[in-house]
Amino acid sequence: MSGGHEDSGFVARRFVVAEFATPEALLAGTRKVREGGYKDVDTHTPIPIHGLEAALGLGRPKIPAIVLCGAIAGICIAYSMIYFCNVIDFPINIGNRPMHSPPANIPITFELAVLLAGGSSFFGFFTLSGLPKPYHPIFESEQFGRAAIDAFFLSVELPVGADADKALGDVRAAGAASVELVHESER
Amino acid sequence: MAAPNLSHDPLEPLPLIEGTHTDQTINDSLLTHVLRGAGKGWWMLFGCALSMLGLLVIAISWTLYKGIGAWGNNIPVGWAFGIINFVWWIGIGHAGTLISAILLLFQQKWRTSINRFAEAMTLFAVICALLFPLLHTGRPWFAAYWLMPYPSVQRIWPQFKSPLTWDVFAVSTYFTISLLFWFLGLVPDLAALRETTKSKTKRFIYGLFAMGWRGSGRHWAEYKWAYLLLAGLSTPLVLSVHTIVSFDFATSVIPGWHTTIFPPYFVAGAVFSGFAMVMTWMIPARHFLGLKHVVTMKHLENMNKIMLVTGMMVGYGYVMEHFIAWYSGNPYEMGQFFLTRWHGPMRWIFRTMVFCNIVVPQMFWSKRLRTSIPVMWVAAILINIGMWCERFNIVVTSLHRDFLPSSWKDYSPTWVDLSLFIGTIGLFSTLFLLFLKFVPAVAVTEVKELRHELAEHDAVAGETHA
Amino acid sequence: MSCDDNHEARANDRARRSLPMVGAENVAGAETGLTSRPLWRSIEERSLLGAVPGAANEFPGGASEMDGVSRRGFMQLLGVSTAIATVGAACRKPNEKIIPFVRRPEEITPGNALHFATAYALEGYTSGLLVESHEGRPTKIEGNPAHPETIGATTVTEQALILGLYDDDRAKQLRRGGDAIGWQTFLADVKARGGKLTEKGGSGLRFLTGPTTSPLLADLRRRILERFPQAKFVSYAAVAGDGAVEGSKMAFGRPLVPRHHLAPAAVILSLDSDFMADGPEQTRLSREFSARREPSRDMNRLYVIEPALTITGGMADHRLRLRGSDVGALLGSLCAMLSGRGLSALGPVGSLGHGQGSWDPKWLVALCGDLERNRGRSLVIAGRRQPPVVHALAAALNVALGNLGSTVEYGVPITTDATSGAAALGALAEDIAAGSVDTLVVTGENPVYAAPVDYKLAQLLKRVPNVIYHGLYEDETAAICNYFVPAAHVLESWGDGRATDGIVSISQPLIAPLWGGRTEAEVLAAFVGDGDLGTHELLRRYWRGMAKLPGNPVGSFDNVWERWLADGIVPDTGAGAEAGVAINGQALAQAAAPLLARTGSGMEIAFATDPKVFDGRFANNAWLQELAHPITKLTWDNALLISDATAKGLDLETGDIVEVTYRDRTLEAPAMIVPGHVDDAITLPLGYGRTATGHVGRGVGFNANALRTSEAPWFDRGAALSKTGKRFKFAITQDHWTMSPDGRDSPPPAVSAPLAEVLNPGSMFHEELEERRGPQAVIHQPVDYSGQAYKWGMSVDLNKCTGCNACVVACQSENNIASVGKDGVGRGREMQWIRIDRYFSGPVDEPEMINQPLGCVHCETAPCEYVCPVNATVHSDEGLNEMIYNRCIGTRYCSNNCPYKVRRFNFLDYTGDISAARELGMNPEVTVRSRGVMEKCTYCVQRIERARIATRIEGRTIADGELQTACQQGCPTQAIVFGSLNDPNSKVSQLHADTRRYDLLHELGTRPRTAYLARVRNPNPELAKVD
Repeated sequence: MSGGHEDSGFVARRFVVAEFATPEALLAGTRKVREGGYKDVDTHTPIPIHGLEAALGLGRPKIPAIVLCGAIAGICIAYSMIYFCNVIDFPINIGNRPMHSPPANIPITFELAVLLAGGSSFFGFFTLSGLPKPYHPIFESEQFGRAAIDAFFLSVELPVGADADKALGDVRAAGAASVELVHESER
Repeated sequence: MAAPNLSHDPLEPLPLIEGTHTDQTINDSLLTHVLRGAGKGWWMLFGCALSMLGLLVIAISWTLYKGIGAWGNNIPVGWAFGIINFVWWIGIGHAGTLISAILLLFQQKWRTSINRFAEAMTLFAVICALLFPLLHTGRPWFAAYWLMPYPSVQRIWPQFKSPLTWDVFAVSTYFTISLLFWFLGLVPDLAALRETTKSKTKRFIYGLFAMGWRGSGRHWAEYKWAYLLLAGLSTPLVLSVHTIVSFDFATSVIPGWHTTIFPPYFVAGAVFSGFAMVMTWMIPARHFLGLKHVVTMKHLENMNKIMLVTGMMVGYGYVMEHFIAWYSGNPYEMGQFFLTRWHGPMRWIFRTMVFCNIVVPQMFWSKRLRTSIPVMWVAAILINIGMWCERFNIVVTSLHRDFLPSSWKDYSPTWVDLSLFIGTIGLFSTLFLLFLKFVPAVAVTEVKELRHELAEHDAVAGETHA
Repeated sequence: MSCDDNHEARANDRARRSLPMVGAENVAGAETGLTSRPLWRSIEERSLLGAVPGAANEFPGGASEMDGVSRRGFMQLLGVSTAIATVGAACRKPNEKIIPFVRRPEEITPGNALHFATAYALEGYTSGLLVESHEGRPTKIEGNPAHPETIGATTVTEQALILGLYDDDRAKQLRRGGDAIGWQTFLADVKARGGKLTEKGGSGLRFLTGPTTSPLLADLRRRILERFPQAKFVSYAAVAGDGAVEGSKMAFGRPLVPRHHLAPAAVILSLDSDFMADGPEQTRLSREFSARREPSRDMNRLYVIEPALTITGGMADHRLRLRGSDVGALLGSLCAMLSGRGLSALGPVGSLGHGQGSWDPKWLVALCGDLERNRGRSLVIAGRRQPPVVHALAAALNVALGNLGSTVEYGVPITTDATSGAAALGALAEDIAAGSVDTLVVTGENPVYAAPVDYKLAQLLKRVPNVIYHGLYEDETAAICNYFVPAAHVLESWGDGRATDGIVSISQPLIAPLWGGRTEAEVLAAFVGDGDLGTHELLRRYWRGMAKLPGNPVGSFDNVWERWLADGIVPDTGAGAEAGVAINGQALAQAAAPLLARTGSGMEIAFATDPKVFDGRFANNAWLQELAHPITKLTWDNALLISDATAKGLDLETGDIVEVTYRDRTLEAPAMIVPGHVDDAITLPLGYGRTATGHVGRGVGFNANALRTSEAPWFDRGAALSKTGKRFKFAITQDHWTMSPDGRDSPPPAVSAPLAEVLNPGSMFHEELEERRGPQAVIHQPVDYSGQAYKWGMSVDLNKCTGCNACVVACQSENNIASVGKDGVGRGREMQWIRIDRYFSGPVDEPEMINQPLGCVHCETAPCEYVCPVNATVHSDEGLNEMIYNRCIGTRYCSNNCPYKVRRFNFLDYTGDISAARELGMNPEVTVRSRGVMEKCTYCVQRIERARIATRIEGRTIADGELQTACQQGCPTQAIVFGSLNDPNSKVSQLHADTRRYDLLHELGTRPRTAYLARVRNPNPELAKVD
C-alpha cells in the first residue's frame, strides 16, 4: 500500500484513477474534484469532450500564437532569401526581367510560410503536450486502456504524503463509477 | 439512443451512420480489418500491385541508364508522359486534403468517415507525382539538389522566377503538410489500436507510433487547435499547389499554355479527378472492408454531386479557352484550339477528354444514376481517364504544333513511358493496400465523436417532440 | 606479319612522333627536329631502323616540350596522346615543310589556331580551301578567299571533309589479297610486275583513274607511257557530264569547255542545270548570282527548265517542269522562235524542227522576249545531264545572243582526258573481256559500285590477274582486287590541281597520314620506280621544273614554292579563253535535227547526283547523311521522287515501296511525292545503297546504279512502276510543306514579294513588314545595350539563301555538334544548331520554294531564360543568349518555351562512343556536350572571344567584318551577316535598317537579334502571276 519508501530514494508517483459512465458525468465529476482542492487533475477520453477545458480550468491554448510566429518567420525567410540571391549576391539579366520582381516572389514566399506554420503547429503540439512519452504511471491501471476506446477517466496525482484513502473517497463521491489507486512502478 | 433512420423516407436525409452503435462496436467494427490477418483477396491484389511496382523499377533504371532518349520525347515535344503523369497524380492528391481540410472547416459532418481514406490517397498520389519532376530531367543526379538554394561552388543560385522552382517549394511543402496533418489525425486512433489489439508486437509497434497518447484533456485542448490550424493551412495550400503547377504552363508563351484561366481551371480539375479516384477505390473498399455502415450512400451521393459541380467548372474552362482564343483573334491561339485540338493528329484524345469530363458527369443530375453503385464506379473510372487525356492535351497537343510549322512534329510514347505510368499506378496501389492493412481506413475517433453528437442531436430532437 | 606487330609498331612509331605536335618549333612544321627524326611507315622500314625507342622515351621529349608550353597545351598533349593510344598512328605533323597561310611560323603559340591553304579536287577541278589547325590537328575548313572558284566560301562536301579525315572506318592496311604487307613489299611486287610488262611494251597494263587536272599526275602519266607505250589510261567518273565537250565538238568542231560568268547576266536560262549546287563552278556562280539579286531595275531574272525541283530551280523566277528528254525539243523550238523573231545570227540552227511539247507557248514567248532584250547580257546554261546536242544548241544560242566573252567563254579542256564518261570505260571492259588486260591499276572512285550496270564490272575485274586498287575505304571495288592500297585523305596529301579557269593550287597536307595512306601520285610513281620518293619530293621535282614559268618572281624556287603554298594558288597559271571560236551552223543543224526528232514513250526514269553524298563517295560521312535534303528534307536515305499527280495516278503515297522495272532490270525503292516534279517521270538519286563502306553509310538507301546503263546514264523513257504494298519509314526533319499546313492564317514566317511591290514604297508589302519590325510593347523596360562595346546581331537575307546547307555543316563542324542517326532524326532529335526551313507556296505542281535558315535568334526578352530553374541560360552584357552546359539539368522547359524551337537536347549520350580519331577533329574551343544537356546556337561565341582577345592585345576594338560566324563564313551567297548593332556603319546595322527587314514572330515581343530580309522575286511582267 505505502509505496515509495525504498532506500533508492525513488519516490513513486501516485494517482487516483476513476472511471465515469458518461462524458456528462465526467464533466461534473471533474468540477467537483477540483472544487475539492485537488490541483493535478486530468481527464482521459477517447474523444475530445466539449467543456472539458473549462472544467479543467485550462487557459487559452498556445498553439495559435506559435503557428502565427511560424508563418511570419516563413514569409521573412523566403522573401529575404530570394531578394538576396537575385538582387544582392548574384544579379543577372534573365530575359530582360527585373532583378527584383515581387509577383514572381509570391509563390515561394507563400509556400514557405505555410510550411513553417504547419510545422510549428505539429511540433508545437507535441512539445507542449510532452509527447512522445512511452511510459506514464497511469498506464499501470488495468482498466485505463479503455480510455482510448470507449471509457471516460479522471486522474488525480496525489502530492507526496497526501492521504490516499481520503482522495479515493472524494473522487468516488464526485460520481465515479469505479476508483483505484495507481503507483508509478520503478524501472 | 438514435433509432436507425429509414433511407426510403424522402423527407429524412440519408443517415451518416447506419444501425445502432456504441463506441465499443464502432471501435471494433472499424478496426477489425486491421487486426484480422490478410485475406486471400488482399494478397492477390497486393501481388498485382507489386508486379506493377517491379515494372516501375525496371522503367526507372532503364531511364537512368539510357537517358531521356529512352522516352518518346522530342523537340518540340520536350515534355510528355513525365509531366502528364506528374500533373495527373498531383491533381488526384488534391481530393484528400480538400475533403479533410475544407469540409472540416465547413463543419461537414459527413466528411469524417472518408477523410482518413482520402488523406492517405493524397500522400500516395503525391509520392507518385514526386517521382516525375526528378526523373524527367536530363541529369536527375544534379536536379536532385541544384534546385535548392544553397551556396554552391558555381556561385549561382536557383532561378526564382521559374515556375519549376516554385513547383519544388509548392510540392514539397504540400507533401510535408499533408503527412503531418494525416499523422496528427491518426494519433488517437493508433492509441485505440494499441489498446484493442491482442498481439504483443502489434501493441508495441502501434504504441510506438501512438507516442504515448493517453487522451489527456490538456492534450485534447491543444490538439483540437493544432488539427484545426493544419486544416486551415492546408486549404489555401491545396489551392496554391495546383495553381503553381498550372503556372508551369500559364507563364509560358506556347498557344494552349499561355492562358490566365489555368489556375482555377486546374484546381477544379484536380478536385474533379481526385474525387473520381477516391470513388474508384472507396466503392470496393467499403464493400470488402465492411465499412458500409459508416461510408453510406449519403457519402457517395455527396461526392457525386461534387464531381458534377467540378466537372462543370472544368467544362467551363474548356469553353473559356476556346472563347478567349477566338476573342483574342490570335491566329496561333485559334489554330491551337479550333484546328489542332479538334482536327489535329491527336484529336481523338481531345474528343475522349470532352466526352469523359463533360458528358459523363451529366448523368449525376439523375438521383437514380447518382445513387447507383455500378454507374458511379464506371463514371469515376471514365473521369480518371478523361482527366489524364486533359493533361495530355495541355502538354503534348499544345507543344507538337506551336508557332512555326517547320518545327511541328508528332509524338509517340515508348514502352518506357507506358511502364512508368503503369508502374506509378502499381506504386500507388501497393502503398494503398499496405495502408488498408495496417492503418484504420476510417477515422475511428472522429466517428465516435460524430456518434455522440448525433446522439445529443437526437436527444434534443426527442425532447422537442415530446 | 601479324596485325599485332603492326599495331605495336605503329604505337612505337607514335611514341616518336606524337609529341612534336605541341610546342612552337613543331607546329611551325620547321625542318628542325621533325625532318631530322627517323621516319618509317611499315614493318620493314621499322626493322631497318633497328631497335625502336619505347614509349618511355616519350617523356624526356615531352618534358623538353613543356618549357614555354602553357598548361592548356600540356592538357592537349595528354588528351591527344590518350586519343592516339587507340588510333594506330600518331596525329602528327607531316615530316615535310608546309607553310601556314598568313601567320609567320615563329608566331605560333599553343592554343592559337593556324590556317593553311590547300586544295581539294572533286571531279578533277580543284577548289581552294583554308584549313584551321590546332596543334597539328585540322579542325575546320573554310574557303580560300584568294581562290577564284571558292572565293572564301565552301560547299557542304568541302565542309564535311574534316569528318571524312578522322573517319575511323577508313581503310588502314596495305594488303596483298588478305595479307597485310608493307609499302616496300608492294613496290617490289610492282617492280617485278613492271619488268614483265615492259617486255610486251606494257600492252597488258591499264590505268583506271578519275578525271583529274593535276599537272603532276599528267606528268607521271607521260613518264609511265614512255616506259609502257602500250599501256592505256582510262578516266571514268560516274557523274561525268561529257555533254559539254561533245556538244562543243558539234558546235565548234573541236572539244571546248564553257566557263560561265553571272555578273553581267541579266537573264539566265538554265536547261536542267543545277549550277548553284552542282559542278565545279557552283560556289562562284552562287556568289555571282546572288550579287545581282539586290532589288533594283537591274536585278537578274532566272528561268529554270528541269524535271525535279533543285536548289537552282527553287531560286528561279520562272520554272518550267519538263522531262529531261524533252529539253532538246524545247530548245529546238526556242531557237526557231528566236530566229523567227529576227535573231538571224542563229542561221540554220534557227530552222530546226519545232518539237511540240507539254510546255505553255506563252512561257516560251516571254522567255524569247527577255533573251532578245538582253543580248550580250543573257546566258543559257545546259546541265551535266543533258546530251551533247543540247549543249551544242545552248552554245549556238549564246553565240547568237552575243553572250560569248561576256557571260560565257570557251576554253580547251584542262582535264587530262577531255571526257571521262562511259564510252572509254566500255572500251576497257571489252579489253578485259577479251582477256588482254594483265594488270589494272584503279585509282578512280569505286568503279564496281559506280560503273554502268551493263558493263558487269564486278564480274569482269575478277578475270584480271592483277587489280591494284587505291581507295579511301574497303569498298565494293576493294572487295575484288588483289592489291589494296589505302589512300591518303586530301588533308593528308601533297598534290596539285587546277580550277575551272586553269589556276593551279598546290595542296599541302595538314597532318601526316593517320593510317599510313598513300597518294595516287605515289602509286603511279611506283611504275616508274619513284614509288619511295614521296609525293612531296615528286611534286617539288615537277614544279621546280615548271617554276621558270614566265611571270614568276625571280628568286630561289624555295621562296616561290613557299609563296605558292601560303597563298594557295600558283599565279599566272590560268588558261584563258580560246579566241576565235565560231559556230559551224550548217553542220550543227544537220547533226542536231535527227537527235531532236528522236522521241521516246513511257514513263521517264532520271538519275540525279545527290546534294549530300554526291555520287556515293561521301556515303560514310555522318554529317552529310544526317543533313536534311534541301528539297525533300530527307535524311539518311534517298527516295524515288515522283510528282503528286503521277503518284495519285498510281495510287502511291509517300513511303510506299515500289518496284521499278526498266530494261528488264528491277529495283525496289521507297517513293516520295515531291512538289514541282514533272509528271509521268521518276527521279532516282545516286550515291546510296552502298554495300561495302564504313558502318555509317552501309545499307543506307537504295542503289540507283542498279538501273543505270551506259546508253542512258541520266534519263530515258520506258520505266514501269508497281506498288509492292510494303511501306518504308523516312526520317524527315520537316513534315510540312507550306507555311500554314492546317489553314491557320498566321503571318508567313518567310516573306517573299515580287520586285514591283518591293520597289514601290507604298505597297502592301511595306505596310505588312512595317508591322513586323520595330519596338513592341513590353511590360518591362528593355535593357539598354547602347553602353556596351558591342551589341551582337545577325541578319539573314532570304533573297540570297539558296538552301544549299553549307551553313549547317559549317556550324556542325565548328561547334562539335553530334549526329544522332536515322532513328534520332525520325524521332525529331536532330542536333544541328542551324536548320533551313523550306516552305512551298502555290500549287503543288508549280510551287514557289523559299528557304529560311533559322538558328537561335538571341531574343532580348528571351522566353527560354525566365523558365530555367537553375539559371543555365542567361543573357550576356552584349545581348547574347548564353547556354551554360555544366549548369544545365535538362528540364527542357527552355525548349518548350522557345517559339522558334531552335534549342537542341542531348536525349542520349551522343558523344560518349565517338572514336578516338574523331576526338582529334573536335574544335578545342567548344565544349563537347554530355547527355541530358540542352544546347543551341551561340553566335559562335568562341570566335567572338578569340577576336576580342586578339584585338585587345592590339589595343583596339573588333572591326566590322573581321569577325565571322561559322555559318556566315561558309555561306557561298553571303546571305548571313553578323556584327555589332552598336556600330551604325556595320553591315549588319545597315541590313537591320533595310526596308526588307522583318523579325520572325515579332508579334510575340521577343525582340530577336537576328533579323530577316524578305525574298524578292523578279517575274517577267508578261508572265507575272496574280498573287
